[in-house]
Amino acid sequence: MQSAPFNFRRALMLIGRLLLGCIFIYAGYSKILLPNKMYSPLVMLKFSILSNLSNFGFQVASYKMLSPAGVDFVSHVLPFAEVALGLLLLIGWRLRISAAIASLFLLLFLTVVTRAYILHMDINCGCFATPEPVSLKKIFEDSAMATLAILMTLFAFQESRKPHPWNAGAQLPL
Amino acid sequence: MNRRFRLALITTLAVASVGSLMLMASPATQKAAKSSASASKTASPAPQAPITVDGVKDIDPYKAYGSKNASVVMETFTDFQCPACKQLYTTTLQRVMNNYVDTNKVYMVHRDFPLPMHAYSRIAASYARAACHIGKCDAVEDVLFQNQEKWEATGDVKGTVASALTPAEMKKVQALVDGGTLEPLIERDVQIGKAVPVNQTPTTIIHTRDGQTYPVVGFVSYEVLTTLLNQLVK
Repeated sequence: MQSAPFNFRRALMLIGRLLLGCIFIYAGYSKILLPNKMYSPLVMLKFSILSNLSNFGFQVASYKMLSPAGVDFVSHVLPFAEVALGLLLLIGWRLRISAAIASLFLLLFLTVVTRAYILHMDINCGCFATPEPVSLKKIFEDSAMATLAILMTLFAFQESRKPHPWNAGAQLPL
Repeated sequence: MNRRFRLALITTLAVASVGSLMLMASPATQKAAKSSASASKTASPAPQAPITVDGVKDIDPYKAYGSKNASVVMETFTDFQCPACKQLYTTTLQRVMNNYVDTNKVYMVHRDFPLPMHAYSRIAASYARAACHIGKCDAVEDVLFQNQEKWEATGDVKGTVASALTPAEMKKVQALVDGGTLEPLIERDVQIGKAVPVNQTPTTIIHTRDGQTYPVVGFVSYEVLTTLLNQLVK
């Protein structure tokens, strides 16, 4: 049986792509280019990026989960990975893979934030440039985003098994 | 006993109670006034007037380090209860002091910016400021930052400061704190920070001789900060 062109699954996938795509892009952008915003000349742009990543590195270290090398790796790689992932979600290319990675990221963030909350750690979440304490509100936000990402992943896999009515008979790409 | 007599008796008793309470309170007030007067007598001489260096105004000379002829002035707004400030102080500023301030390349100004959400940061700033005014800045700031988690949990700022000072030094510091003469200096730093505006701590403002300013918000590692300082220092 062919599915309708626009149904609940596709609607949720579209909302998930747009919402999570924008959130990931903003999260990565804010870690790289905020709060220090000296963009000119080039040497100041470089300094701003390095100082923002250094600041993010401090926030990662405050969770007390990684070695110094691990903190350096995460602080320098994660913001760019978030931007890339956000772009992939927005474009919708290889959606099953990008949605699955987004789900993993969000589940990981939810786990570390929940751990920090349970341990009564008075630290900043490090999610965006603005200082946000770890709190129940942050846990609920992360839970909602993780739920959306997981549903989006499941629906993406389900949709891939059903040919789109406008491409009846054509094989769907990965 | 008629009604009027009872009313008069109650009124007399009430007035007598209030009066006796006031009389009991006044010796304490007198004692506080006396101790305040004696504190001001035993306190250090009045703080030096604030100075201006390269356009940076209202600098407390007791909380500034290095040569006034340095080509770069570095203002750092910190809160003693802020973890990022602790990290900045222990890992970055100490090395900046050794490699740039002591070599007369940078003039460093430490501004207090106690955040309202931190219950003990204001009192910590008071004790640190008082310690600076008796020449024990490094020891007290160091002990406050190194033991931040402890005094933050217990509120025992005084005990933490006392552990870094001799009894005589602690007495001078306590007198300065009790006298309240240094509170306007802390408040002035806060107002300067609000004018920038400083939205989070730590915030570092780097000033050059030609009037350029470079704000650096949040923690920054020594290696990253030197990439900027080396560009600016002549």
